[in-house]
Amino acid sequence: MTVAADERVASVGPARRLLIRPELGAVVGLVVVFVFFAVQSPVFRSPDGIANWLDPAATLGIMAVAVALLMIGGEFDLSAGVLTGTSGLILVTLATRYGFNVWAAMLAGLVVALAVGYANGLIVTRTRLPSFIVTLGTFLMLQGVNLGVTKAITGTVQVSGLRRAPGFEGASAVLAGTIQIGGTSFRVAILWWVLATALATWVLMRSRAGNWIFAVGGNEQAARAVGVPAARTKIALFMTTAFAAWLVGSILALRYTSVQANIGIGQEFIYIIAAVIGGCLLTGGYGSAIGAAIGAVIFGMADKGIVFLGWDADWFKFFLGAMLLLATLANRLVRRYAEEVKH
Amino acid sequence: MILETRGIGKTFGSVLALREVSMGVEAGRVTCVLGDNGAGKSTLIKILAGVHQHDAGTLLVDGEEVRLTSPRDALDRGIATVYQDLAMIPLMSVWRNFFLGSEPRKGLAFDVAGARKVAREELRAMGIDIRDVDQPVGTLSGGERQSVAIARAVHFGARVLILDEPTSALGVKQAGVVLRYIARARDRGLGVVFITHNPHHAYPVGDRFLLLNRGASVGEYGKADITPQELTALMAGGAELEELAHELQRE
Amino acid sequence: MRRTPIVLALLGALALTGCSSSGGQSAQSPPAASAPAAGGAGFAVITHGAPGDSFWDVVKNGAEAAGEQYGVTVTYQGDGDPAKQSQLIDQAVSQKVDGIVVSMANPDALKEAIGKAVAAKIPVVTINSGADSSKAFGAITHVGQSEDVAGRGAGEQLKAAGVTKLLCVIHEAGNVGLDQRCKGAEETLGGTVERLQADVSNLADVTSKVTAKLQSDQQVNGVLALNPAVAVAARDAIRDAGSQAKLATFDLSADVVTAIQDGEILFAVDQQQYLQGYLPITFLNLYKGNLNTVGGGLPVNTGPGFVTKDNAAQVARLAEAGTR
Repeated sequence: MTVAADERVASVGPARRLLIRPELGAVVGLVVVFVFFAVQSPVFRSPDGIANWLDPAATLGIMAVAVALLMIGGEFDLSAGVLTGTSGLILVTLATRYGFNVWAAMLAGLVVALAVGYANGLIVTRTRLPSFIVTLGTFLMLQGVNLGVTKAITGTVQVSGLRRAPGFEGASAVLAGTIQIGGTSFRVAILWWVLATALATWVLMRSRAGNWIFAVGGNEQAARAVGVPAARTKIALFMTTAFAAWLVGSILALRYTSVQANIGIGQEFIYIIAAVIGGCLLTGGYGSAIGAAIGAVIFGMADKGIVFLGWDADWFKFFLGAMLLLATLANRLVRRYAEEVKH
Repeated sequence: MILETRGIGKTFGSVLALREVSMGVEAGRVTCVLGDNGAGKSTLIKILAGVHQHDAGTLLVDGEEVRLTSPRDALDRGIATVYQDLAMIPLMSVWRNFFLGSEPRKGLAFDVAGARKVAREELRAMGIDIRDVDQPVGTLSGGERQSVAIARAVHFGARVLILDEPTSALGVKQAGVVLRYIARARDRGLGVVFITHNPHHAYPVGDRFLLLNRGASVGEYGKADITPQELTALMAGGAELEELAHELQRE
Repeated sequence: MRRTPIVLALLGALALTGCSSSGGQSAQSPPAASAPAAGGAGFAVITHGAPGDSFWDVVKNGAEAAGEQYGVTVTYQGDGDPAKQSQLIDQAVSQKVDGIVVSMANPDALKEAIGKAVAAKIPVVTINSGADSSKAFGAITHVGQSEDVAGRGAGEQLKAAGVTKLLCVIHEAGNVGLDQRCKGAEETLGGTVERLQADVSNLADVTSKVTAKLQSDQQVNGVLALNPAVAVAARDAIRDAGSQAKLATFDLSADVVTAIQDGEILFAVDQQQYLQGYLPITFLNLYKGNLNTVGGGLPVNTGPGFVTKDNAAQVARLAEAGTR
């Protein structure tokens, strides 16, 4: 910054300036939750334990980051969770029942997922119906399709046997394998998650598309008026959540070599919660991909930490909810404190 | 004339929003479009800005007849519009808003550093003193937001600047500030179309005045041909005001 | 700034509650997470039953009772999602427990996690479902009920009661064992068996689904539930539909036993799931202390037992205590 500082801008301490960013408030929540569990459970903070809770953080995180992008763009996608199931089911069914090579089956799943994303985007932008409703419809339709088609083809409600399909070894290594770091196995999904977060952050902060995403979420009419291709941006965002759903669905299918027809249902709100913990506004126009990734980590830590502490399983959901509320509250308090210096 | 309309008209369903309106704007001049609420001013702007297409009459850019298909089309021809609600995204920073829709590239990326620098410089060149280009536009005052919008339009090579009621929501001092920027833009060679319902704002800065009433033109005057009082009277509908004054008098 | 102390105080309070949380466990408050505390071993029971499921609660009671009996720590976790269940097993391995008890509704999905446990020299006992894969995965034994046998038994009894068209309610998608029960019943019934998919976590929905089925198909004269909660929901459905269909179920609960006494349910096939919690802890404890294995490579059968109007009264008292 070579321009002389304006005397009206009070010198803002570096710590406060850092905390103003949408995601770094979530970091405070992250530290609080981590300390809470780490202090009480040595396994939680051991490398093995860390590998344990980073894994659900990763599969949740890939989705949370994509959903955060869409939420910044002002829309919701409730069908993302079910779509992970659809992609996985296509992969396993084609590879085990129709002799497809695993990679080809994955490609087929990708095509279908992107088509669903495109359809979601098209309907939302053309009809101007709230995306909440449109994707709710898609969610229900996919739920039915997942169950109905699986039953029609296999007679039961799950498909399995992926291990025997051609191309399994390679695909499994790339998406479902593990990496050894100092004697502990970490899931490859963690790498994919980091990659997804980095890519999403770059797009948001350093690309033209990112500017458009913020604009379209902040004030769509104004964005259109200055020539931002709002419809194209939104459709692209829906296709992004669809892509993420395909990635996660494939990772899970390859890892567990089988897919149940009802997986992913119920997860859609968790993605939104992770994004909100990370600083995304429900009304759009503001948020961060890193924040959503942090939200996913908080979730993963709380989810697994409760088990490590040996808390009664019946109280699990209660403690999970309490943890989440506290983390979001801590996030809010920090932001408000940090913003006292700005208007 | 950079931008001109001849007998332009627009119908929405069964409503005749605009009929037989002819006006024009030249480089380095300000044309004021005046009229009370409901006179058809916003319909006229939307046609000039490419948001709507006219149903009757002709629209000419640089003397050639055109049909503007979209706001982007109008922008590409150098017609920049600053709306009442400003087409600014409150949550985004000043520099992001400045370059929205026309982001400079650096390879595949958005040239963020360059954008910040240019935004700061351009605002300064217009004499606009924004403290920090990183602050969200929502934290700026109404007058500051207008000035950023004007600076944006000027920077992107607008040849015609259409301002939709820029001073309507502002206090006296702020309005004065905006009028000054309008003059600046005019002095830089742009043609300005200044829409307002306040003749006291329009008169000091305008060169030509178009009056609209109920979707039709009541008259088009040069500055030399009309006084501020006459302008006000025409706007309100002179005869109506006299009647009103009579009614309001004490018995 | 003034608000942060409040937040910290809240967190401190939560931390304290965490330390002294009770539930059914043996009271070690330093985390059951690490190696066994003085004197006792630590075993993890990880099932596919959702928390609060009346069937699995009895399993949990059995496991915890065995824990108290032998002075060992028993933790119980349940999740219907095989992915989550797999992660829970991974966690138990990280915690270096002395033994893992696992129910395999979806054996394929758990193969890797169980393999890791076995590789880490942690003995595994499978229960309830997945008997066919138990040995292949390296478990030391399987404790449960052979679902085909039980299914066939149920089919015979239903045939004797005059059922010709049977509705078999499958309440857990993807559970191979449930499918085996229906199949077994189909083999011996001599009539038609139709499967109806429902979700055990939404019982009101189960009732309406069964009602709808009974109303639309008058030929159905028998309903076979595979879970006690579902049986109660089905009983309501039969009443709502005004149907004369006969109802039988797998597995017991206090409500089911009362219903049998009242004549609303014909019989219940009891797999004595209390034993599926109690026995594995016994076996694992013996393995730890004495390297004993039970079963000689074959599963240990806990059923089928049949509870009918004749023996319902005695069983009723036990069901109320949560042990049958």
